[in-house]
Amino acid sequence: MTLTAAAAAIGPANTPPNPVLVKIRDVIYQVAGIFHPDNKHRLLEERCAKRMQVLGVASLRDYYDCLTVKPTRQAELNALLNEITIGETCFFRNVPQLDAIRNVALPKIIAARAKSTPRHLRIWSAGCSTGEEPYTLSMALLEEQKKHLKDWTFEILATDLNERSLAQAQIGHYGAYSTRNIPEYFKQKYFLARDRELHVTAEVKAKVNFQQVNLSDAARMAFMKNVDITLCCNVLIYFDSVSKRRVISHFYSNLLLHGYLFLGHAESLYGVSDDFRLVHLPGCTAYLKSENKAVAPEKARPQ
Amino acid sequence: MSLRESLLKKLEDLDRMPTLPVSLIPLLRYMEQPNEALDLQQVIEFISQDKSLAVQCLHMANSPLFGRSQAVESIRDAVVTLGLERMRDIAASCSMLGVLPKEKAGMDPAVLWEHSLACALVCRQFARMIGFSDPGKAYLAGLLHDVGVVAHLWILPSEFSEALELACNERIPLHEAELRMLKITHAETGKLVAERWRLPAEMISVAACHHDPRSAAAHRDLVALISLSDILCRMNGLGHGPVEDREVDFEEEPGFAILLEEHTQLRNFDWARFTFEMEGYMEEVHRLVNLMYHPA
Repeated sequence: MTLTAAAAAIGPANTPPNPVLVKIRDVIYQVAGIFHPDNKHRLLEERCAKRMQVLGVASLRDYYDCLTVKPTRQAELNALLNEITIGETCFFRNVPQLDAIRNVALPKIIAARAKSTPRHLRIWSAGCSTGEEPYTLSMALLEEQKKHLKDWTFEILATDLNERSLAQAQIGHYGAYSTRNIPEYFKQKYFLARDRELHVTAEVKAKVNFQQVNLSDAARMAFMKNVDITLCCNVLIYFDSVSKRRVISHFYSNLLLHGYLFLGHAESLYGVSDDFRLVHLPGCTAYLKSENKAVAPEKARPQ
Repeated sequence: MSLRESLLKKLEDLDRMPTLPVSLIPLLRYMEQPNEALDLQQVIEFISQDKSLAVQCLHMANSPLFGRSQAVESIRDAVVTLGLERMRDIAASCSMLGVLPKEKAGMDPAVLWEHSLACALVCRQFARMIGFSDPGKAYLAGLLHDVGVVAHLWILPSEFSEALELACNERIPLHEAELRMLKITHAETGKLVAERWRLPAEMISVAACHHDPRSAAAHRDLVALISLSDILCRMNGLGHGPVEDREVDFEEEPGFAILLEEHTQLRNFDWARFTFEMEGYMEEVHRLVNLMYHPA
């Protein structure tokens, strides 16, 4: 290939990232804790454009002001986050995270609890929406009953604030969109195909316990105990920093000593919690309850 | 003779593998001079001497990974637009490509090059973020840290592929699998190669000690930096293939304590954000590797 041909094969040049967009990206990370790497900038720009159209705002710079200086900034940020996370709910949404739970977290929890009774594992899907996440976990753990969870029982607590989502979750019927990532093996084994929908089988449902819980309800939160793994994906991003700290400190005390907290993809607790320890698992990150911190999280919470 | 001895004997025959292009070492040496002493024309000539190297360099120069803002159509364009340091990074990356075997015996060479390139990019970015003195050096070290694997591919392909298979099956780090199967690791081999190629002393340390930064006698912070970047790549799908089923707390890694001695910014480092940023260029690394291996 000649040099010119090589250059031509590459296509049009990338425009450098818009500096205002980078600032918006940084605000979202600072306030909501969710990060948009460079390859997601175009997506972020599209989502901003949608909001700008609704608001009748002409430039990204003006929109940046809507997110930072206007009194409605928190509401606008939430509206933008809604655009960002729209349509994200589906079965097997985060496969590396699911694999890391099965292959790394579970064996470590089982080893840590080798002498404990009862041999019962509690997983909490906090903010379960219409049920795709807890049912995915239920299927994965049913598979583990032959492997890591031999001689163990398990339950999945699935909570959400929204009553309608919970009702839909309990019915357990799903259309093509949210079932698009389900591997064939799981589809065959854990679903019944009815009228262009997939119905979750009774076996999968039996392991999931749906409850309406408001994560900001301190009394209710104090009641959630002995959790081995908490998943809270794309939920905390909507909380202001004070409420976020409060929820995180509850998560911390709800977990058993060796417990894990998993967040959504590209979500981080940086600057929010010093109690949890960030760990890298293959293809994802998680937060580990550090064993050497015996201080009651409520007291440890920075003011 | 033990397995270890017989493999070491085989490895004496390092001449069976190609060496870095002769043009690269003079370029690297030349680039060590202070910036004001450098002549653009000279650098353009170094790279243009080798036509296939030049074509590959142009592919890379057009990737957003190297900060291009408009299409570059010649080596001259690339040097002028991207600057000398980025051009050196690009030339070194393409030279690394040239020493890899063409066959997929044992390991797909594209996977190794991808890991090396990803590691180099992560090292450079990490170096910048913690105020490490020479990000360009970090890039080169990241690129060359696994030269020992290159030697294994050329000289011990069948033995190496068994080690790789073990790593994949048991989901353990490659060097642990090598130690079990071959009784030597690519770090030990890497030292031999780096010495044979007369690479700068710090590159020899990196090749030899990146899995055990505490064992480095000199250039400890560079070795530590590469060690952490390497782990980050391997934990994020840019390793040598095997998925490692383990849990890494970067602040507990030996490299962290070493690097912290001189780089206090590391104390409040946002590992999560750095990881997500890295995910952002993973896609482009894949695209670029694919383009380099299967040009249109």
